[in-house]
Amino acid sequence: MKTNRIPRRQFLQGCSAAIASMAGARLTNLAFAKEGDTSDILVVVFLRGGWDALNVVPPIDGNDRGFYELARPNIKITDLLQLNDQFGLHPSLGPLHDLYQAGKMGIVHAVGLNYDTRSHFDAQEFIELGTPGLKSTTSGWISRHLQQTGVSSILPVLSTSGLPTSLLNFTPTVSLNTPSDFSQWGNGDLLGSQQAALRKMYGGESLLHRAGLRTLDALNIVSPLVEKEYQPSNGAFYNDDELGQQLKTIAQMIKLDAGLRVAAVDFGGWDTHEYETDGNGGYIANLLDQLASGLANFYLDLDSGYTERLSVVVISEFGRRLVQNESYGTDHGHGSVMLALGGNVNGGQVYGQWPGLHNDQLYDHADLAVTTDYRQILSELLSTRLGNSNIESVFPGFSGSYAPLGLFR
Amino acid sequence: MSISPRPSLNRRDFLRLSGTLATASFIAACTPQTEQTATQTSSETQSPSAEHPQPIINVSAPLAVIALNRMAFGPHPGDVDTFNALGRTDEERLQAYVQQQLNPETIDDSDFESRYAAAEFETLHKSLEELYADHIASNPYDSNNDAYWEWYSKPAYELVEATLLRAVYSRKQFSEVLADFWQNHFNVYFWQDDGVPLLASFNRDALRANMFGNFRQMLEAVAKHPSMLYYLNQNNSSDAGPNENFARELFELHTLGAENYLGVRDPNTVEKDANGLAVGYVDNDVYEAARSLTGWRVDDDLGDWEDGVEKTGGFLYYKPWHDRFNKLVLGHYIPADQEDLKDGHDVLDLLANHPGTARFIARKLCRRFISDTPPDSVVQAAANAFTEFRDAPDQLKRVYETILLSPEFSQTFGQKIKRPFEATISILRALNSDFTKVPGGISWMLGLMGQPVFEKRSPDGYSDVKESWANSMSILYRWNFTVGISENWMDDEDQGRTLRTDIFGQTPSEIRTAEGLADFWIDRLLARPMDDSARAAIITVMAQEYDPREVLPEDHVQYVLPAMVEVILMSPDFQWK
Repeated sequence: MKTNRIPRRQFLQGCSAAIASMAGARLTNLAFAKEGDTSDILVVVFLRGGWDALNVVPPIDGNDRGFYELARPNIKITDLLQLNDQFGLHPSLGPLHDLYQAGKMGIVHAVGLNYDTRSHFDAQEFIELGTPGLKSTTSGWISRHLQQTGVSSILPVLSTSGLPTSLLNFTPTVSLNTPSDFSQWGNGDLLGSQQAALRKMYGGESLLHRAGLRTLDALNIVSPLVEKEYQPSNGAFYNDDELGQQLKTIAQMIKLDAGLRVAAVDFGGWDTHEYETDGNGGYIANLLDQLASGLANFYLDLDSGYTERLSVVVISEFGRRLVQNESYGTDHGHGSVMLALGGNVNGGQVYGQWPGLHNDQLYDHADLAVTTDYRQILSELLSTRLGNSNIESVFPGFSGSYAPLGLFR
Repeated sequence: MSISPRPSLNRRDFLRLSGTLATASFIAACTPQTEQTATQTSSETQSPSAEHPQPIINVSAPLAVIALNRMAFGPHPGDVDTFNALGRTDEERLQAYVQQQLNPETIDDSDFESRYAAAEFETLHKSLEELYADHIASNPYDSNNDAYWEWYSKPAYELVEATLLRAVYSRKQFSEVLADFWQNHFNVYFWQDDGVPLLASFNRDALRANMFGNFRQMLEAVAKHPSMLYYLNQNNSSDAGPNENFARELFELHTLGAENYLGVRDPNTVEKDANGLAVGYVDNDVYEAARSLTGWRVDDDLGDWEDGVEKTGGFLYYKPWHDRFNKLVLGHYIPADQEDLKDGHDVLDLLANHPGTARFIARKLCRRFISDTPPDSVVQAAANAFTEFRDAPDQLKRVYETILLSPEFSQTFGQKIKRPFEATISILRALNSDFTKVPGGISWMLGLMGQPVFEKRSPDGYSDVKESWANSMSILYRWNFTVGISENWMDDEDQGRTLRTDIFGQTPSEIRTAEGLADFWIDRLLARPMDDSARAAIITVMAQEYDPREVLPEDHVQYVLPAMVEVILMSPDFQWK
């Protein structure tokens, strides 16, 4: 069974009095969570594969533009959307450029994982665990943040693509692709007794047991509250691509006012070892177009009373090599770009110390260097927007180096 | 890279299905929940799960269950009895089963073979060159036409269908489990560019042909297969600019593993072992290996513009692209101007013979067959076998044998959960479901569970630890799958494909109490008892308003039986392996 086409009001009316009082209690609980908690809803978009930061935010002028063009004769980006005197934005990111100009999006350059690796899987794992160099960590950085602050709603965390490492060992996470897919099949009137049996059988303490129980709880929340056809606000339109559909799901869940605190989104395909561009178009332009359209429409949709409490961060495991390869692509690199969007982002600026693109300024004489540890950005987000000043609990060993850039208000 | 065409999945049937089922969800949503719900939520609030060490589950199971859930995709009806008849003691039975499964050519698989013949696959008999010629070089259709893309992707789709068919019905079960293991180890994404139809050959010629043989040979077959050459951009790697994509994953995923990656470091600072070889690898080794492999490409000059290149679709060593100068890999010196192919072969030799590779492959196999965190004892024993028999034609068979006959194999259960593919296949096997051509809905549901067959986009393959699969969407669709199968909702009418399960017909007619039916099906599906509380829950589903011990009316049995069977298959007990 897929879509549940029962409006919320009808749902409440439809249940018998005794049941409705139960449901009502749950809904009160949810509303309560919303009133009592003023910290932001965090949305983390992870671009898997290592995005080519130097083609996303290339230098626009000066020596570095020269180094850039020399290194990338066939894949350099032109006709950039100007960000400041130094940098431009890839022309496919027009909708995000608008948000930048409106002060709703900030950019951090030469940011990343300050650890020597060019492995996708190591880099992703270290970033998401929040403990560079240490793989034995048993929980993700978001898990530790939520443990520190506590969660008080029934749907606190949503992942639209399985369970990312950043949420490792955080049982209250609900993963779902789309709300309409998230419903339980069953043979009519027998489903209730099946669910009762499942609830008993999944009453144990193991990872599997807790995940099963969480699934049953999530079904209770999601299935009845999802209305027949989601109507985005402000004329926002989500493309029928992977990212668009994931962001649409999250917007829908945020607007349920069910206490959502964190949502994690994966967007893959950035490992551009060959034929990365075709002029300013081509493969990566297509990905950036999806990214820009998805995020801008998400922001527009939530600019209906939610953006003041919304923080979106976009992160990838690393940037790519300065010099193009002979396949008109780029190999794994180091320094990257992060984006932050939200009503309380000090947008319209490019943050971070620019290390330069002269050969001596490159990491390993090859890649953009990392001058800002990605944990700086996330720590500032935690303490400024997410009500968690205990940075040490989330990024152990890091708090001593914490120095906010002023990206968030 | 380009965006590959992605034919729409077969969702129509499900959308149609949804209309008739929405009511059930509505009713379920109104069902009052016990206090337990609220308690569970608040206890998570106060003491978040990650602060607790994960409780160790002490699940025990008969050896037949252990063997058939790890060396096979779960028991087919009768398999447990057959296993138990293999000897007088557990040790004898396991020994006999392992020997049988390690020698698949000795297994009579005629039932599966006739089913495979009935499926009438059109493209899977084709050689690599035939696949290339028929589906790439001379695709008879217009590329603006859907028919072109259907024909282009047909061998890969047929491979998915054949893989599901084999996994469910072949009696060479261990071979199927191994094929799944190696396909994930040497992952190639279904929709990788340029070579989609060749996946059928990759799976058969590079993996299946070598999976009981020698690792070094399999490694070379993989490294030279066009599917891999295309997927990891080796096909464009030349002396003018080596593409490091394949070389990096060759080290990190295929041989030494990330556990032996020492990062971005000066190679001169890396410790050497007694043979003068580096104990681990650094980025420089990746670059030098990439240079060694330049010129390894596909013979695919479709435009007739390259000298010395044809369009057979086979592997080609293209000397003009090879970097002829000397290299240094893992501390080993590769001189300039070696004979054709030797630089690359040297790299494969170094990697296949490295003790780090032995440990990495051994640990990964133990993770698959024993536990998410296998004991070092068995990992070391398997690594030793890997090294001792490294030149043997049946090296890998020896390694499997070491693992399967280890005490660790027989003495652990429940430290893993089935991955979605394993869960799906085990449900179809347990229920003795009947299909020849698998309906599209099965693949669609595997996608919702997070494991569409051959569609892992990144080269690391699907995760083999439970944390990756114990999430709500994946679990929900495991449950939904049991319902779809048990209720016979999965037929694909558009394509005339049926998938039928007769639960009622498999139930002895003399068993008609809720208790009796529950016990029969618990034993049939799990081959071991459930705990009292779970059993009681199952009985309650079967009995509904009746007494558990009274004889149930025939129409009640017919109506409720699938729902009870579904609950057993949805239970945690059915997910352990």
